[in-house]
Amino acid sequence: MVFTVLISVGVVSLIGAGLAALMVVSEHFFADYGPCRITVNDEREFTIEGGRDLLSVLSGEKLFIPSACGGRGACGLCKLKVFEGAGPLLPTEEPYLDKDERESNVRLACQVKVRNNLKIEIPQELLAIREYTCTCADIKDLTHDIKQFRFELVEPESIDYVPGQYIQLLTPVYEKSSEEVHRAYSISSDSEEKDAVELIIRLVPGGICTTWCFEYLKVSDQIKMNGPYGDFRLSDSDAPIVFIAGGSGMAPIKCILHYMKNTGNKRKATYYFGANVVKELFLIDLMRDFESELTDFQFVPVVAEPEQDENWDGETGLVTEAVQRDLKNASECEAYLCGSPGMIDAAIKILHELGMNDDSIFYDKFA
Amino acid sequence: MKESPQTKNLEKLLRSSKLVAGGFMGDDARSVYEIIDADMAELSRLDFTAKQVVERMQQITDIAIPGLGTWVKLDEQRQVKIDEAKGWLICPWPHPGKFAKRITTVRLAKSGVSIRWSDLNIHLIGEHGFFEGKGSNFRIEPGKLIAAIF
Repeated sequence: MVFTVLISVGVVSLIGAGLAALMVVSEHFFADYGPCRITVNDEREFTIEGGRDLLSVLSGEKLFIPSACGGRGACGLCKLKVFEGAGPLLPTEEPYLDKDERESNVRLACQVKVRNNLKIEIPQELLAIREYTCTCADIKDLTHDIKQFRFELVEPESIDYVPGQYIQLLTPVYEKSSEEVHRAYSISSDSEEKDAVELIIRLVPGGICTTWCFEYLKVSDQIKMNGPYGDFRLSDSDAPIVFIAGGSGMAPIKCILHYMKNTGNKRKATYYFGANVVKELFLIDLMRDFESELTDFQFVPVVAEPEQDENWDGETGLVTEAVQRDLKNASECEAYLCGSPGMIDAAIKILHELGMNDDSIFYDKFA
Repeated sequence: MKESPQTKNLEKLLRSSKLVAGGFMGDDARSVYEIIDADMAELSRLDFTAKQVVERMQQITDIAIPGLGTWVKLDEQRQVKIDEAKGWLICPWPHPGKFAKRITTVRLAKSGVSIRWSDLNIHLIGEHGFFEGKGSNFRIEPGKLIAAIF
């Protein structure tokens, strides 16, 4: 009796497994969804062969949607609206979509398989994004783990961006990465220089893109990037500015300072820049130049633990502590933050305590 | 033991460098579950559980966070700091899971020895019993970890 039950269960399981395998094989070899038409924002239409995920289809059409996980449905960044043809919401999408998003047809592009004609809406700012082929023109050491990279544009030959925005750098397949990935980096260069982009990048141990940048990328290599992205930018107000940054967070602030100089911006601005030790400070001479070139700009480097032999006589402690010491009332100011997520969170807390509203605090966590 | 398709997929992803440079397995020839079994046995031999270990790791990370990347005193013998980068690390197991790119480093003042882990390591050990394969960037030896954090 027991033997018969076991045999029956085994046979049923085998049939089930066989059918599942057959479905997977059939899908792979025989599924033919035919041509599928994709309509973007009621303005643009193109037709592709069905069967691939929407994120890679759009990328193939040079429509770049931010994604941090390579299309595994694990980061939840590749959101867009799909009004027709996407089928029911998948369990893999549910954790990333709130009630409002579900009701307004937001989907994860990496999880939507193109099987039918689709009608989609992509945020307008993403439509302006282009892919750029560049040549690495210069690599400069700024600290032991921060480098400045200069990329000269080859095709297209120029880029327009708002100071504060970022690009996504494409890391090609290399020894330590089996597939291409994109990573976001703020532009640090002068936006009037249209034919090149500079990035300030800090090495992340085990990081796919930064390992490639630091150990494999060489001057004269060709690379690809796309962008620009992000809404971190200087407002039009006259409010005094408090910049707070640390490490590679220097990048967008430097870019904004170039812009302020180019446009003759007269706003009062104070820039608190944090480092662990004096040796980790960089671009000090450039910041001193900005002090003499801008109408009312002060650069305040803050060192947490100055080396004894450096005879440091500047601000010490955490960068947020220096802000707290200097700024008695921040309610009339605007703050622009760039650095680690922890530094941004700590700065926001301090700024709230100093009377600043959320509306006056700007930052880009890239996530 | 025969591997299920899910285990094969997981093994393939762990050995690839899709999520972290060099992958999670390093040059370890053992299967993922052989690695997990061996490390869990080592933990048990040392009289610790994965839960105890990750609770202590998280506690230390939480102590380091307010230091914003500077060394924070853990006690007379140890200092701790965190390094953060923008973005996320993704758990390779088939479930939604993204973790801040935050690395905690504990330094022993006397010996100068240090040990580090990411937020993803805490999750991988706590939820999956996975200390990563030998030779990977973030492999943690259970014995060394316990000696450094308790």
